[in-house]
Amino acid sequence: MRFMFKIWFALVAATLLEGAAFAATFTASLDRDSMTLGEQVTLSLKFDGAQPQDAPGIPNIAGLQFQYVGPSSSFSFINGETKSSITFNYIVTAQHDGEFTIPALRANIGGQQLDSPPLKIIVYKVTPPTTTAVNSGNEIAFMKFAFPKPKVYVGEPVVAQLKLYLRDDVQNISGFQMTSSTTDGFSAGKTAELSNQRRRVQIGNRVYTEIPLAMPLTAVRSGAFSLGPFTASVVAILPGQNQGGDPVFNQFFNRGEQKQLTLATEVVNVQVLPLPEENKPADFSGAVGSFEMSATAGPAKVTVGDPITVRVQISGRGALDTVTLSTQDAWRDFKTYPPTAKLETGDQFGFQGTKTFEQIISPLNTDVHELPPLAFSFFNPEDGRYHTLKSAVVPLTVQAAGASPIPVMAGIKNSTPENQPPQDILPIKEKAGTLAPAGMPLIGRPVFLAAQVVPVLAFVAAFVWRRRTDNLANNPRLRRRLAVAQLVATGITDLKKYAAANQPDEFFATLFRLLQEQLGERLDCPASAITENVIEEHPVLRGASKATLDGLRELFQLCNQARYAPVRGSSELNSVAMQFEKTIGGLQEVKS
Amino acid sequence: MKGIFSYLICVVLVLLGGNTRSLAADAGADFAAANKLYAEGKFADAATAYENILKTGVQSPALLFNAGNAEFKAGRLGKAIAAYRQAGQLEPRDAELNANLAFVRNQVQGATLRESRWQNWVGSLTLNEGTLLAGVFFWALFGLLTLRQIRPVLAPRLRRATQLAAVATIFSGAVLVLQAANHFNGAIAVVTSAETTARSGPFDDAQSAFTAHDGAELRVLDRHD
Repeated sequence: MRFMFKIWFALVAATLLEGAAFAATFTASLDRDSMTLGEQVTLSLKFDGAQPQDAPGIPNIAGLQFQYVGPSSSFSFINGETKSSITFNYIVTAQHDGEFTIPALRANIGGQQLDSPPLKIIVYKVTPPTTTAVNSGNEIAFMKFAFPKPKVYVGEPVVAQLKLYLRDDVQNISGFQMTSSTTDGFSAGKTAELSNQRRRVQIGNRVYTEIPLAMPLTAVRSGAFSLGPFTASVVAILPGQNQGGDPVFNQFFNRGEQKQLTLATEVVNVQVLPLPEENKPADFSGAVGSFEMSATAGPAKVTVGDPITVRVQISGRGALDTVTLSTQDAWRDFKTYPPTAKLETGDQFGFQGTKTFEQIISPLNTDVHELPPLAFSFFNPEDGRYHTLKSAVVPLTVQAAGASPIPVMAGIKNSTPENQPPQDILPIKEKAGTLAPAGMPLIGRPVFLAAQVVPVLAFVAAFVWRRRTDNLANNPRLRRRLAVAQLVATGITDLKKYAAANQPDEFFATLFRLLQEQLGERLDCPASAITENVIEEHPVLRGASKATLDGLRELFQLCNQARYAPVRGSSELNSVAMQFEKTIGGLQEVKS
Repeated sequence: MKGIFSYLICVVLVLLGGNTRSLAADAGADFAAANKLYAEGKFADAATAYENILKTGVQSPALLFNAGNAEFKAGRLGKAIAAYRQAGQLEPRDAELNANLAFVRNQVQGATLRESRWQNWVGSLTLNEGTLLAGVFFWALFGLLTLRQIRPVLAPRLRRATQLAAVATIFSGAVLVLQAANHFNGAIAVVTSAETTARSGPFDDAQSAFTAHDGAELRVLDRHD
């Protein structure tokens, strides 16, 4: 498998190298050399025998727009000859009609300059169909643009209508796309179909389906403007030529003939009037439309500095998103905060609905006795006049902060219904409490953290102790070993004491007993059964060193001799005790 | 020599104690003066007075509470909320404090962080209370474990208590970790200027995402000098 891969790799490498040896060529082509305004053509830049790293740059050509859509590459290996090419594709759209020339393009491939031939493309103007053509029924589809009035004011929102007509033999349409929307002097919103308003109309001698599309427009500057032509492209599906079978079946399976159509509307001229300067209110902030206002404010009884919430609702028809509350000069005795706004629209274009403002204000002194009326001015394009709406005066009672009786919290709870929100913050505290330096919290103190180790250590110690105790309880030999070790340790002390006191009887009796106990523990047999003979007989002691065995024999013999010749000196007893200590040490190392 | 050393230690302790008492006494007088300014409606002056006391290094829940009140009355919602939050770290279950904090939060315009119910629950204990609680459960757990080692005969009877102590230790430990993270990382920031533009990136020319108003509480995701 690995060998096959190497062969394949070698072949590919050789092929590429061989291909690279061919002379590279560069060609540019269009998929067609003419189009109508709104359509698009594809420009292909093809490199044969060369692999440029990046797509070539296209120079700016007035009236044409290029959009790079990506490369495509091909590779062929025929009769030992290899060919490779890469094509860079661009979508070309025109902004106006006319004849355009795409100049020769130059590419640098590995130091080699490659030039493409220049290309020409003719863009035809889209013209709306004449009335005669429409009435004759020859038009498969066409569009009409309707603007509701010839004159509008700056800022006035208008919903224009774009109507798409489809001849009765059009089975379906797809890919409807607006290709140009000339709306100079207006800002256009999103075009959307008006729901449930499709209808069939008789035009000339054919029946058409009328599909109304709403186009929200707002005039942004004054002057004479032309709306349109609006152009669109759509694919209409018509009954196929010589297509047999059931037409319902054909329609269901979309077997009709597809026809790409370019549609255009007439140009509509509109005069945009500036807002009049005459009688313009000082507080006018640009609201254009027809509005109503309602306002509330509360609470009416406050102390200096307390917040009062002013809620203003402006509803009606107009450019609601641009409606703002202007600064109220009459509220000079109040501290004002920026208002918040919430827009609830009643139509899909946002031209009708209610905008609610909430603004917090607070009285600055006790001289305030009322909230002056809030004023809102707008221009109504229907009557061409400015209007100013004013809210009612809200009487207020403002008390000094220190003079008002300060209720305690319990009092508030008892006297205020639970569902009523508090009207003010609770008062300050008279006593400072314990004023102390801000210290490090407990969790940051090393002593506290170190203290937390104590229970862990206690647990670990208890755990180890428990394991040791359990081991002793479950292992009698271990328990005996420890007990004998303890006995020997105290016995050696006793031996030294008896030696110092020159008490040979007690000395040798203790020595013999210690020898029995230690040998009994090592040999795992009762201490009383231990005699000098075990030294020669027991297999365990075969692992002991010769010095240990000799020492044991000598100690047993000394014990036996002591019964018959008990008189010994302290020095001799001390040397026997030392010999015992040494021999016992050797014995304890013998594996039992 | 030893006597002189002991005497010196006593002198230092007396001086330190006296200094602390003097500091507290001064702060108490300043506190009363600040309260007077507040009662006279001089809220901005009162806020400055409370802040000056805090700058001396002492604090108390009541001092921070009053500072928050003064800041609110002076129209500075953000500073008020910040002071209330600090007071809440010392006395989280103070009903008056929580009422004022809720009231001021309701005045904040625009986007602000609303703490969830469990965050409020975690915040109902001070960090020290949480630490002590976790410590008690921790000691109880290891005490029971140790007792079970020393007296294995009690192990069956202590089993349920040990399990409860373990669960309580884990739970209180988790709460403590959250509290400590909040305390030491400063996970919440309060906007104290009138308007602050939040941007989509850590650069001055980054696209603005939204405008946060005075008093808006925001979660700190990262810091940028």
